[in-house]
Amino acid sequence: MNTQTMLELARGPIFYGALLFFIAGMLYRLVTVISLGWNKDLAKPRGDKATGVVKSFLRGGIIFPFFPREKAAYARNPIVYIAGGLFHLSLFIVVILGAAHMLVWKSLIGFGWPTLPLPIVDWMAAVGIIAMVALIVNRMVHPVMKLLTGVAEVLNWLFVFLPMITGYMMTHHMFLPYENLFVLHMMSINVLLVWIPLSRISHFMFYFFSRTIHGVEWGKRNAMP
Amino acid sequence: MSIEPTMNLFVKKTGGWVASQLEACTRCGMCAEACPYYLATGKAEYAPIWKVEPLRRAYEQRFTLIGKLKVALGVEKALTDADLKAWSKVDFEACSVCGKCSGACPMGIEISSLIATVRAGITAAGLAPAGLVEKTEMQMKCGSPNGMCEDEYIKWFDSLEEKTGVKAPLDVKGADMLVVYTSLEIKDKRHNLYDLAKILNAAGIKWTISMDARDAFNMGSIIGNPKVQKELAGKILNTAKKLGVKQILVTECGHGFTTLRDAVPNVFGEELPFFVTHIAELLPNLIKEGKIKVKEGYFKNGHTYTFHDSCKIQRQGGIMDEPRYALKLLAGDTFKEMDSIRENGLCCGGGGGIRSIPEANENRLAAFKLKLAEVEKVGADVVVSTCDNCQLQLKDGFKHYNKAVEVKGLIEMVAEAMI
Repeated sequence: MNTQTMLELARGPIFYGALLFFIAGMLYRLVTVISLGWNKDLAKPRGDKATGVVKSFLRGGIIFPFFPREKAAYARNPIVYIAGGLFHLSLFIVVILGAAHMLVWKSLIGFGWPTLPLPIVDWMAAVGIIAMVALIVNRMVHPVMKLLTGVAEVLNWLFVFLPMITGYMMTHHMFLPYENLFVLHMMSINVLLVWIPLSRISHFMFYFFSRTIHGVEWGKRNAMP
Repeated sequence: MSIEPTMNLFVKKTGGWVASQLEACTRCGMCAEACPYYLATGKAEYAPIWKVEPLRRAYEQRFTLIGKLKVALGVEKALTDADLKAWSKVDFEACSVCGKCSGACPMGIEISSLIATVRAGITAAGLAPAGLVEKTEMQMKCGSPNGMCEDEYIKWFDSLEEKTGVKAPLDVKGADMLVVYTSLEIKDKRHNLYDLAKILNAAGIKWTISMDARDAFNMGSIIGNPKVQKELAGKILNTAKKLGVKQILVTECGHGFTTLRDAVPNVFGEELPFFVTHIAELLPNLIKEGKIKVKEGYFKNGHTYTFHDSCKIQRQGGIMDEPRYALKLLAGDTFKEMDSIRENGLCCGGGGGIRSIPEANENRLAAFKLKLAEVEKVGADVVVSTCDNCQLQLKDGFKHYNKAVEVKGLIEMVAEAMI
């Protein structure tokens, strides 16, 4: 099998198969969690739950990266905070606002959007890669993170890192021919798509649950989430 | 001993609320950086999310494909009694369920509630610390975990007439308010009864006390025994219903207050026909509404005051502005705030029943050192708290470290400053 055929497979049937697995897997996870049941809270709230939820998302998604709630705690482990934040920012810029990826989205959902200039996307990709390296080193060194790290956590890191590094190498024509890197990039994405529903990378979906719960819990006491 | 009761409890407790939060955790470890026990000792296993590990494993292995796969491949072992025994030391001896970790979690996971579930699972397996088991048995036997049985309460309530000339209002039907004290107050703060009577009578509140609802303490909540929690809380709930009161006032008990206000409606499956409040909320409101009058600046007397935010009453109870209003009025500019306050308040190290576990003394006093550092930094020589358990821990800690810092409650301060 030559590289071209491999590429066609990797970006064709294998990609669509992995994407289907990803969608079906995430739906399965969602349905199983929701179907476990939810109890109605009968306690009289002291504050407004909905306000708490709004504040929770404002703090968690917008203000939080700049003004963390527990400042002292974040100062004690700044790598998680800074590198974690930069990684997520990089991911958003590269995967959503990068021209090449936007075209993939467009082919999948039928419409596109304005993108950022390549040099910005490229720099942010590099920042994301450096942040990922910092995160894994920190995970291996910090006593608490070492304790919390098992095979699954290492695989999570690896399966996210591979598409990032192969994408960067591909853009810069590094070490291997472009087509080979493209195959590696696509295959690493396919592996990631299959892995996400099986792993904690799915936290991006449950984030909306946990921050809503957090908002309700703190809002009902009239406290700042 | 069997793991079955634990697994049954975990399964019963695992609804979408628990599962979605377990699924959201990225194991970033940030919660550790907010935990007083981890910070004080540096022990990685004291990280709050590690305390949730038994529940996480039970959930994944029971409800998820990947969890089942992990066990099948030998990557992870099924939960055992030995695991629970190990986690009993971590979850009970190095955690006050203070909830500071929840504020530090980037995902907003209510870690302390999940820890409470793990504690309940450990208790179901019969592996809760002996000190807590003993206190629970004592409360079931005599109504109070501290051995303050009915006769002690009778003596205490009777002493109200001697001290104030006012007869104790026992079981007054149709009273506005049922006041529920704690056995810690009979033991160490007997004046709370007299001081609170003075305040409530001055405010014109028709209040009552009852021997059937004499202790807000709830060892069921502390140890994580739902049956005990329900039975103890039920006594207060039924008494309040029987007397037809409009509100329950919990004096200084933190967990007793949140148990009655937030847990009881869900435990009994009904909305409460009355309002549950705490002195931290009521007393400042009485001042604000002009129902009682205090001398402004009464405590501007050369001391520096600071306020300790209790985990249950302030962070988890939401009563943060009210006590500050009273303190600013009473102590003026001699009231200073510590670094970690309100929702981010630092635990005194003595909550969650840890004071009843002798094996946890080292952890408890190590965690207190963090609080001590903040008190010293602000230069306070009086710490005010609205929780009697915190007050005991603060007194104990200052004594242990030879610090001349006084600990005061809000009831005594308001009563003293009344005009």
